[in-house]
Amino acid sequence: MHPELLNQVARPAEVTPVVTFHEVSKWYGNVIGINKLTLEIRPGVTGLLGPNGAGKSTLLQMATGQLRPSQGTLHVLGQSVWNNAALNRSIGLCPEQDAFYEWMTGWEFVHTCARLSGLAGRDARAAAARTIEAVGMTKNQGRAVRGYSKGMRQRIKLAQSLVHDPEVLFLDEPLTGTDPVARRDLMDIIQRLAGEGKSVLVSSHVLHEVESLTPNIVLLNHGRLVAEGHIRQIRDLIDSHPHHIVLVSDAYRKLASRLLAWDDVEGVRVMAADNALMVETRAPDAFYSRLPALSLEDGLAIKAVYSDDDNLEAVFKYLVEK
Amino acid sequence: MTAATTLVSTAESQRATGLGPRRATATSQIAALWTLYKLTLRQHLHGKRWMVMVALFLLPACMAIVIRSTARDPAAILLEFMLGFMLVPQALLPLIALVYASGMIQDEQEEQTITYLLVRPIPKWAIYLMKLLATCTTAVLLTLILTVLTYAAVYLHTSASFADVAVRCAKAAAVHSLAVVAYCSLFGLISMFTSRVLVVGIIYTAIVEGVFANLPFGIRLATVIYYTRLIAYRMLDFILTNSRGAKDNLAAEAWQFDVDRDPQLLQYPSTATCMIVLLVATIVCAILAAWLCSRREFHVKVPDSH
Repeated sequence: MHPELLNQVARPAEVTPVVTFHEVSKWYGNVIGINKLTLEIRPGVTGLLGPNGAGKSTLLQMATGQLRPSQGTLHVLGQSVWNNAALNRSIGLCPEQDAFYEWMTGWEFVHTCARLSGLAGRDARAAAARTIEAVGMTKNQGRAVRGYSKGMRQRIKLAQSLVHDPEVLFLDEPLTGTDPVARRDLMDIIQRLAGEGKSVLVSSHVLHEVESLTPNIVLLNHGRLVAEGHIRQIRDLIDSHPHHIVLVSDAYRKLASRLLAWDDVEGVRVMAADNALMVETRAPDAFYSRLPALSLEDGLAIKAVYSDDDNLEAVFKYLVEK
Repeated sequence: MTAATTLVSTAESQRATGLGPRRATATSQIAALWTLYKLTLRQHLHGKRWMVMVALFLLPACMAIVIRSTARDPAAILLEFMLGFMLVPQALLPLIALVYASGMIQDEQEEQTITYLLVRPIPKWAIYLMKLLATCTTAVLLTLILTVLTYAAVYLHTSASFADVAVRCAKAAAVHSLAVVAYCSLFGLISMFTSRVLVVGIIYTAIVEGVFANLPFGIRLATVIYYTRLIAYRMLDFILTNSRGAKDNLAAEAWQFDVDRDPQLLQYPSTATCMIVLLVATIVCAILAAWLCSRREFHVKVPDSH
């Protein structure tokens, strides 16, 4: 990785970090999961972005004390995490894996987690009821988890992470596999949690998901920190380099001639087999803003627009290799 | 939106009423451990293990029924000895312990539910010990049922008095329970070293408990079954009187106890020593396994993980 990538992203104002990684590495035999990661997560919502295999889950498993760093130091709320069970009173984890005690009802699952967190009988019942209601699962709390849809499972998984009212929440791909309604609801919940003053670290491999949740993001790839900071700055960083946008149109040759007249278009490649063009630009926002008008011009109807660069994998590959 | 206000009220009400969970009190610790204990017991009631257990439970009782219905007047004491003190402690008890102890932690890890335990304010060593305690509870309960079923099948509709049979059954159940707890602790320890605990456990049962324990050498001192047999030998007699009045000491012969030279088994460990050895071995294995558990990482495979 180019070190200047990190330098180009301005650091947020000095606030006491809730999670601190210092030179943390994690090895699985000869395979490296996290590579000399130095990172501070501040209060509020932080998006942890990276393609599959970037090390996001490893990072979260270390931050929640399930894995021990092979090297370096890791603190949450100022305390060392490894073998510090008491710290778990202040931490909540919504894991990525779709695993439950399937034979339990949603209520039993959340209530059991409340009890395991040390809440006494009446408090545990009250906390379970409130949390289940908060994630919108009261109506289905009496059903066995094995019969839940993916969205319900994600909601009840989120409920167990909240039931003991933790200060810091780690959410590992909480939106994966959910339908649009569940996704919107879960995003609302996460944003409300931040509004309540909780610190939330939410991982995802989908840029626009995280973008909708928070402007503060951390980019990981191959176990390394690629960039961190405000998403706008990272967007700018990405946008300052060529984007590849594919336009599908029956009049692709005529369209190509029009596009070449634009100053911010650096190149156009004809994809005749697909009736499409691949446009290279360094100003994707400006480019996108002019597309609707162009599409309305006589005979230039653009049928589809998509960008491979929206795929994080491509962005990371670009950031790391450039 | 209702959900929004609810979330806020959760946090606020807990703080306002001082119900926040961050204070670790003895009560909250005990509540958490008790919940883990109950959770483990409930886990034992689910899954396919029950089918295996039912088959194991019924095996000696079925064998007793078959033998009694096919053989001409089989001696009850012989049946009791062969089924209750050869088959049960040598094969079935290790299997019961193995089936449950092997999955204490590994099942949670394979099913990826261990995360829900690891992110709670319960130390890993305590998680292990509570799961072991629950596993021992299940194994002992099953052993009691197994023993009662076997004795019922052996002695039902015989001339033996109910009181005598009940006492023998209770003694057998106590000895078996001691053995199965030791096996649970041992197999729990093995599960901390290898993920192939079932294979290792079966090999151990076959070679160590099956072969070594039957050799008249010092190596049998390293087996669970040797101490179990000594306790059973001293608590219960297995004397078979044949039609000519000759007495046959079934246990001494089968278990390689040299009663000809040492009729009182004075050269052998006493009952108290045997119990202490089994209990100490159980405790040592449990502590060692809990210590290993506390140092161990539990990597849960997720799509994003390495």
